[in-house]
Amino acid sequence: MNKHPSPLWTHLTSENRMTGTWRSALPNYQNQPSPCLGACPVHGHIAEWIKQVKDGDVYGAWVTLTENNPFPAIAGRICHHPCESACNRQHMDETVGICSLERFVGDTALAEGWQFSAPPTQETSVAVIGGGPAGLSAAYQLRRRGFRVALYETKDELGGLMRFGIPAYRLARSVLDGEINRITAMGVDLHLGVPAVDGAALETLQNSHDAVFLATGASLPKRLPALDYANPWVVDSADFLAAPVSEQTDRTGARVIVIGGGSAAMDVARSARRLGRSVTVLALEPEGRLPAQRIEVEEAVEEGVNFVHGAMMKSAEALGSGVVLNCVRVDFEPGDAPGAFSVEPLDGSDFELMADTIIPAIGQDADLARWSGVLDAKGPVVATGRDWQTSKPGLYAGGDVASMNRFVTQAVGMGKEAATAIAAALTPGDARPPANGAAQVAYDRINIAYHDTHGRNRQRNTEIEARLATFDEVQQPLGPNEARSEAARCFSCGTCIYCDNCYFYCPDMAITKLENGYVVNSDYCKGCGLCVAECPTGSIHMREDTSS
Amino acid sequence: MNAPLFTEDLKLLNGNHAVAWGVCLAEPDVAPVYPITPQTPILEKLIDFESRGACQIELLTPESEHSAMAAAIAASATGARVFTATSSQGLLLMHELLHYASGARTPIVLFNVNRTPAAPWGFWPDQIDSLSQRDTGWVQLYSESPQESLDSVIQAFRIAEAVNLPVMVNHDAFYVSHSVEPVSIPDAGMVRDFLPRIPREIQLGDGTGRSLGAPIDQAAWNLTRREMDAAMKRVENVSEQAGSEWERLTGRPSAPLEFYRCEDAEIVYVTMGSMSGTVREVVDLLRESGVPAGLLKVRLFRPLPVQALRHALAGTSCAIVLDRNYSPGTGGVLHQELKAGLFGMENPPRVHGMLAGVGGVNVPVGSIAKLAADCRNAEQTAEPVWVE
Amino acid sequence: MEMTKYRDNGQFCSGHVACAGCAEALSMRVILNAVGEDTVGVVAPSCTAVILGGHPMSSAKIPVLHGTLESAAASASGVKRALKAQGRDDTTVLCLAGDGGTYDIGLQALSSAAERNEDILYVCFDNEGYMNTGGQKSSSTPHMATTGSTPLGKATHKKNLIEILAAHRIPYIATASPSHLSDLAAKVEKAKSIRGTKVIIVLIPCLPGWGVADNAAVKTARLAVEAGAFPLLEIEDGVHYSLTVAEKTRPIDAYLAEQKRYRRLSDEDRAALQSEVDDAWSRLLARAGKDLNA
Repeated sequence: MNKHPSPLWTHLTSENRMTGTWRSALPNYQNQPSPCLGACPVHGHIAEWIKQVKDGDVYGAWVTLTENNPFPAIAGRICHHPCESACNRQHMDETVGICSLERFVGDTALAEGWQFSAPPTQETSVAVIGGGPAGLSAAYQLRRRGFRVALYETKDELGGLMRFGIPAYRLARSVLDGEINRITAMGVDLHLGVPAVDGAALETLQNSHDAVFLATGASLPKRLPALDYANPWVVDSADFLAAPVSEQTDRTGARVIVIGGGSAAMDVARSARRLGRSVTVLALEPEGRLPAQRIEVEEAVEEGVNFVHGAMMKSAEALGSGVVLNCVRVDFEPGDAPGAFSVEPLDGSDFELMADTIIPAIGQDADLARWSGVLDAKGPVVATGRDWQTSKPGLYAGGDVASMNRFVTQAVGMGKEAATAIAAALTPGDARPPANGAAQVAYDRINIAYHDTHGRNRQRNTEIEARLATFDEVQQPLGPNEARSEAARCFSCGTCIYCDNCYFYCPDMAITKLENGYVVNSDYCKGCGLCVAECPTGSIHMREDTSS
Repeated sequence: MNAPLFTEDLKLLNGNHAVAWGVCLAEPDVAPVYPITPQTPILEKLIDFESRGACQIELLTPESEHSAMAAAIAASATGARVFTATSSQGLLLMHELLHYASGARTPIVLFNVNRTPAAPWGFWPDQIDSLSQRDTGWVQLYSESPQESLDSVIQAFRIAEAVNLPVMVNHDAFYVSHSVEPVSIPDAGMVRDFLPRIPREIQLGDGTGRSLGAPIDQAAWNLTRREMDAAMKRVENVSEQAGSEWERLTGRPSAPLEFYRCEDAEIVYVTMGSMSGTVREVVDLLRESGVPAGLLKVRLFRPLPVQALRHALAGTSCAIVLDRNYSPGTGGVLHQELKAGLFGMENPPRVHGMLAGVGGVNVPVGSIAKLAADCRNAEQTAEPVWVE
Repeated sequence: MEMTKYRDNGQFCSGHVACAGCAEALSMRVILNAVGEDTVGVVAPSCTAVILGGHPMSSAKIPVLHGTLESAAASASGVKRALKAQGRDDTTVLCLAGDGGTYDIGLQALSSAAERNEDILYVCFDNEGYMNTGGQKSSSTPHMATTGSTPLGKATHKKNLIEILAAHRIPYIATASPSHLSDLAAKVEKAKSIRGTKVIIVLIPCLPGWGVADNAAVKTARLAVEAGAFPLLEIEDGVHYSLTVAEKTRPIDAYLAEQKRYRRLSDEDRAALQSEVDDAWSRLLARAGKDLNA
């Protein structure tokens, strides 16, 4: 045997050579917010729960979803889904049908009877005023944290706008009841049919509770000055939508004109079509720019609703058995704030419309008068500061009473945020977690080679004739296979899906798989960035490495 | 000649077939061979043996001598006993790999039939093909006859495997390769004992996962040559032992240097290969006419047994080197080697370099005998002399 | 596209000296693990040899003979015959060479081994030039690509080695790409199960040689496959063609744009290359189709 190792034959492995010293940057595994998460009013972890749906873990998806939103079945039907508008997948083919997936998860939970667990009730007590989406969301989040919750609602039933403003063909009442009951089952001290809470009552509630959340919504209909609401042929849209079908039938004639272009206007128009009425929508906005969701307008058109765009009513008067509306075309300019606009009538463009019933649906105002002198207002809503706290310490407000962002999911989000703030305020030392400052994952961070082009799995609508005959739901849910297929379309932007691509694409074997994740071996990683480039979800990024 | 310990078959064989017999007895595992005149009968005979089941060899017939040597090296590095054969152009085509083989310390045995290289084309006996490979790290043996070729090829495996260096055995085209003479075929069992299988310290695929020939730094490369140097230094002794054992077994002397009537020789002819037979006749004639002449036949050219040569030529006044090769610009290779080997010797013989038989031309007995008279009292010259 | 999966039993070691982001090292990882430990390797001088070696270290767990450039297939044949003589015929002999060692100087030895149908698995890492010597053209360098020895772009075409090999009627020929690692692993495993000469040509976008970003070798290879510039295929017995990726899904432009070696191209040049790719693809489809109809 030679005393020295042979110069001809190797006797060591290259693992003795630390190639990590070549590196100037190191991959960093950090889940980053997806565009959908950034756009979501409840800040739901969409990429995460869709992955769970894809993996067949619907219960897990429901648990993830309901961390932020207790109403997946409701939101899956009526959310205005800014998430889908932000979805990176639209740059490849079509956005992911997030709402339809959310509905799938929500419906599955209702069908399976999944319930929220609530920790034992603490002594700390919060009063929630208003049983609409904001109030229920806040009650839910507070109960999850173990707070005692007393809920005050003037109506005999919970749900607010979801019950009294959204027709059953968009949101089945069984779904609404199911998701609300699941919250009250957590142990909420309900006070239904109570008088509206005025300034004095607020004081009382503040004295008997550790915090109060005000979510009374926007209950006062805006009124058109040119219209005398005392006329029998004028029907308020909120009243109309809240009324039972028999009453709706009694209150409307054969020809209905709906004034307004928002969701409420669409709901009124389509409800009237279900009563067999001839319906025309008169809207200020030009075609294609109605504030209602596009799908609502499309379905209204399918159902035979006529539209007169870019025009306004100047006056209306009875003529024979009907009504004549004197209208004029307008130049419409949207304003900066949500809901703000200006119009300029166009000279010489007058025209007339004939109707039997006029239903104005131009929005609702919050009733601030009852707290006049007690709470500061900011324009048409209660003024709130950071964390939705009003001018009265310990009194928080959210939903339509405190914001002009008048979407159900916005209200749910505000309820969640306010509840989080209340919980933090009532729990000494419980600082709110700092916001994740990471940038949203842009489309160019997604390696689309790992995502096959596949059109969206669309929900089907019932036939138009069948729709007009009942108030049954129009949109039919995705089946389990469709839901899995649709979930598989999600890029999971910014969320590691443990696909192992980073591990398999490392030329230096510098990535080790762990039970649930990966670790970079800095002894060998040369910092090439292949793992980042081949990541299908954009959940790894290169970070400068200044260590020697 | 001593009596052999084993009874041997006597067969009438030409030199190449005698080589094939020797190879067959040495039982190599792998033999990649490419045909070339005048080597081809070795290849054909081996294939004939193998196809008749007389031996079990993995025979490869690749597209070139270069690939043959590449395969030989690889097979040897994987632990196989390997043989190949070639000639002239083929050997020259192998040149790159001859370096590789010795550098990788693969104990390959190559049989080369000495032939003129082109241009112009020729097929004649001339040793420049193998002599020009003297710096490639191969042990070189030269054979005079079919019997010696058989014996040498067997000894070559013994030497190669003892020192882990490749060995090239050479005989002259046609004069030996195609000359027929009675050849004794040694006993197979005896040869097997003479060539025991020595386990390699390391080989490819031995389970250690060690790789051969990976890029290396200067100092380590330098070390490989020092190790080769040490191995080369052992060759003379190893071949001496192999030769004396062979002589004990077969009765045929097989030392690195062969002496014929060198006792008290005033004139010693120094030569390699087929020329030796002619010189023996010359020596006998000279001795009859009272000229004290002798023959020193170099069997082991690389490494040249320098001390043995100095010892053998001490007291000789005149050495006449007959080179059947021509190295342009210097002359005969053996002449140069011998001069270098004798450098610094006390009372060295005069060394006369003769270019005799270059390109295979016939060198008659008279021409060689005349050299004795020409050189006996002549000063040596630096310039080579072309023998007519 | 399916997510990547292949077996890694640690046959290729960290600490090798390949450039950061090298697709050849990545492919070696897949191949060495796919062939398994009962393998002897032979490597021709190339980046592969450098990556594998660096005495006294080796990045491969299998033993490797670092042979000469022109004789990789011959050396592999020698190893195989030696193993056979020792009764170890089941041990795989893996030959690794670059395109210089395969298309150019090693073609003679490869052709001969193929003709003898030596039982070896020959992998050519095709980076379309002499990249280890600083980037000169080989007969694998494609038309119009610039290299150190074709500064104005290569005037002639890439040698069609696949057709040359097919003409030898060896049992298995395949092409593979570091963008399709599962496919590469599957092809190696398939080749390993077949007796005789198997050749797999792997496209290796060379980061410095092609002018590709450190993190873009895989992307570049993927674009080549998707553009049909480097079709993924298998040929059995020299006649049965099948396409692994059956469709050409994008024009060649994005592939060219990823590389600095095509920086000089005019619009006309790009159109000409597109037309060459289209023609070659049609011929390939015809061969694959002919087989289907046979």
